[in-house]
Amino acid sequence: MQRHRQVAAAPKRRASDTWDAIAELVGATLDRSPHIAASDVTAEMESASAIGRALVAAGHLDKYAVVVVADPIYLNITTVSGSAATDLDEDLGPVPGGATATGWTVFLPTPDPVGDAVRTAVAGLPHFSADEPPGETMTKSASSEEANALNLDALAQRAQERM
Amino acid sequence: MSPTSTSVSTYTRTQTATYLTDVVMGTIADILADLKIDVTVLYRDWKQDEAALAAWIEEESLQQVVLECHQPNGTVAPIIEFPVAYTESGKGDATFTADRAALARYRAKLERVPAGTTYGLICTFRKARTAQPGWGPATRASTEGLTSLKFGTLAAAPHAALSMRYLH
Repeated sequence: MQRHRQVAAAPKRRASDTWDAIAELVGATLDRSPHIAASDVTAEMESASAIGRALVAAGHLDKYAVVVVADPIYLNITTVSGSAATDLDEDLGPVPGGATATGWTVFLPTPDPVGDAVRTAVAGLPHFSADEPPGETMTKSASSEEANALNLDALAQRAQERM
Repeated sequence: MSPTSTSVSTYTRTQTATYLTDVVMGTIADILADLKIDVTVLYRDWKQDEAALAAWIEEESLQQVVLECHQPNGTVAPIIEFPVAYTESGKGDATFTADRAALARYRAKLERVPAGTTYGLICTFRKARTAQPGWGPATRASTEGLTSLKFGTLAAAPHAALSMRYLH
């Protein structure tokens, strides 16, 4: 299920505190699963905190989301900086669906000019990736994928009809 | 006469300090990444430097943050200065804004530096400051012979504004 959460950054929080808020959101969501150890999530979010702070401070997460994929969860997390952060109505509670998650991956964006730094930072982290996150449909059943294929075929056919 | 109402937002110096600190730290991280200078130390010391800059902006002692690039042949260039201009309380910009799009365009114009270039962060002060962990006395490199290019205002907040100057 596609969810989006916004986290207030500066001037409400420093970059390091903002990343901590993101880490707590991810941790609280995945902690509901009996298959995922909260300590693992906490440790990896902490390991990624250096690059996380830099992404927050430069405003990259205002535009590009951190994506948490833990089927059935598909969570986009962005930040809000500037005046809008001061009166943002935040929802930092656990995202529903965590109880049935069995695995998890956090996809970090790789915007210029910090793309290489992101790739280096996540290289040794088993649950982090600097790849493009999968489309939400890829986390669902085969029947959904077939439906997507049919839709694409129909679109292709419609395009041909117009030619 | 129709009734009128006004909305007044009250922002604190702490918020101004938090905001400008984030902008300057994020800008430095992006510039170093752009120049392909190793950011390991910046990332390692982030929380400590973030706390120091925020404290100094809040007490209005910080004059400017200076990023010096030390090339392997001894040349110190470019040097990028981030002066802070304080405004009388309530007289400054009533919002928190940063011109990140213009900064991205500006970064593309920065001259490349040779491999092995390192960096230093130096702060100058306009009045007595509180001591902060990890920061000690330092001497700035000479800017003699360098050409100065003004970026203008990088970020504005209710109690202060941050600008940028590029010397190369």
